[in-house]
Amino acid sequence: MDLDDIEHSFYNRQSLLFLFYFLGKIMSLIHIENLSKHFSILNRREGLGGAFRDLFSGDYRTVKAVDGISFDIDAGEIVGYIGPNGAGKSTTIKMMTGILKPSGGTIEVNGITPYANRIRQAQIMGVVFGQRTQLWWDLPVIESFKILKEIYKVDQKTFDEHMGLFNDLVDLKKLYTQQVRTLSLGQRMLCDITASFLHNPQVVFLDEPTIGLDISVKAKMRSVIKELNQVRNTTIILTTHDLGDVEALCQRIIIIDKGSVLYDGDIKKVNSLFGAYRTLKLQIDGYNDSTLQTLQDAFTQKFGPEHGIAIAATEEFWTDVTIDQARTPLADVLNFIMTTFTVSDVRIVEISMENVVRKVYDGALK
Amino acid sequence: MRSLREYIRLYFMIEAQYIKGRMQYRSDFIISSVGMFFSSLATLGIFWVIFDTVPNLAGWSLMEMVFIYAFYMIAISPMQILFDHAWQLRYHVQQGTFLKYYFRPLNMMFYYMSEIFDLKGLTQLVTGIALLIYASIQLHIDWSLWRISLLFIALFSAALVQISIIVAASCAAFWVVNSYPVLGLAWKLREFSPYPMSIFDGAFRFTFTYVIPIGFVAFYPSQLFLRPQDVSSLVYFSPMIGVGLFAITYWIWTKGVNSYTGTGS
Repeated sequence: MDLDDIEHSFYNRQSLLFLFYFLGKIMSLIHIENLSKHFSILNRREGLGGAFRDLFSGDYRTVKAVDGISFDIDAGEIVGYIGPNGAGKSTTIKMMTGILKPSGGTIEVNGITPYANRIRQAQIMGVVFGQRTQLWWDLPVIESFKILKEIYKVDQKTFDEHMGLFNDLVDLKKLYTQQVRTLSLGQRMLCDITASFLHNPQVVFLDEPTIGLDISVKAKMRSVIKELNQVRNTTIILTTHDLGDVEALCQRIIIIDKGSVLYDGDIKKVNSLFGAYRTLKLQIDGYNDSTLQTLQDAFTQKFGPEHGIAIAATEEFWTDVTIDQARTPLADVLNFIMTTFTVSDVRIVEISMENVVRKVYDGALK
Repeated sequence: MRSLREYIRLYFMIEAQYIKGRMQYRSDFIISSVGMFFSSLATLGIFWVIFDTVPNLAGWSLMEMVFIYAFYMIAISPMQILFDHAWQLRYHVQQGTFLKYYFRPLNMMFYYMSEIFDLKGLTQLVTGIALLIYASIQLHIDWSLWRISLLFIALFSAALVQISIIVAASCAAFWVVNSYPVLGLAWKLREFSPYPMSIFDGAFRFTFTYVIPIGFVAFYPSQLFLRPQDVSSLVYFSPMIGVGLFAITYWIWTKGVNSYTGTGS
């Protein structure tokens, strides 16, 4: 092969890359069709004798962690992938990141199958997994970034540009010389998130990126994620239990439960759902078996039969009053309770993921 | 795909930084090195006690034993220094922190093992080299260029055998919840390797030669230099045994990595 040939193949590769680039514009970045993952799990028996018998047992049951889901995600989207614990979120993410091999169906990220091409997949994605850092624990922050530069073969110019951007966003420079182990959780998460964008990946998976952070750091984190998404047009898949993250970042959400997609669509529709509900947690003095009924009757009398208030006793001494603000304003209910009952403690909580899922089941989005 | 040269470059880059970081804990380094030094010498003490009562061990003199032991110390050093992270595999697997090793465009065993470079193993390596030189002077071993190359090949194969045994044992963590006994056993067996295989009973000798071939970590290859005239032909297979064992270990590792599903999050 002489020099001309080499040059020729080089141009061919260039034009191929362009072709892929334009195809990418038409095709979706992540394509999932009828994807499933089943695990066989040994039915364990109790006690020592049971453990011994388990050794020779062939008694397996199949758990369908993910059971025939399909969706497409386009380049540049921020998608909230949410659901209660054990819904199959992690399993899907593990399949998208190339850790797990699907039991059935198709999964393609940028046209490649993650499981079969783990290294290629790793080159085009970034991952942040909750509180588990992927930086080098004993190294100063800047050295971690330099090693990542080497691993992902980022050239110096791009690297400098990126570090400049991160400096503007999170003031990274003042952390440069600190060992990762000495960073606070918030600082470390910021470093982890910026590190996951260093090689300009096409897709970044963020799993619980704000867990355990205080409100101001949470807000910072969200604005950084949003900024990076806009500047780079990076696709972001966000799994979280914090509905605040979802509200702040996502245009689209996919709700999954028991391995199936419950809802896939615009956030606005769902937003009205969990935005409208608030739960009052009350400690009522002299609580007894009839308290719930008394409350129910009082609400009906005060706000009419269509009051949209659900009452439940969740923990000991606590009564949960969930209010649909579209029907009855929270302030009115609170006022009414405080004047009618003797309450020793009150908390207002946002609706939980479990409740959102329950409402979707109940047909709230139809 | 990344070339071997790129991997080596990356390895040096990571370890240089790692050592710099560890050096900040200077007392940790000094204490663990001193501990390593004395624990290596403890076995020598056992030899002296044995040879105080018997003139030779299955026909091997004290100085020959020292040579074998020095060979052993050098041969296990690469495992100690470069593959020390194998010990933590079961924690990572149980805690779910093992997941992160899937996320970089690197060979996973490389990425995983590169995270720890055990400095105290260097003490063992240096002690081993010093002992080997001392013993070979005492034994009047004639080091021709050919012999020296043979020594390097023998050490390389022996190191591969030791690395393979430990890494393969650590992989038990992918399938067994409490995998420590497996790794602990593999680690304990290592202590038999600096002894002449002829002192062991038939069944043990067979095991240590063909099943878990710790005989190839020190005793068999040392014969090349101590008793070149009556080396069993099996010894010449040790490079193949080293490479073959490592290939099997790598296969087990890959199986484990592919079967791992992580913890829930």
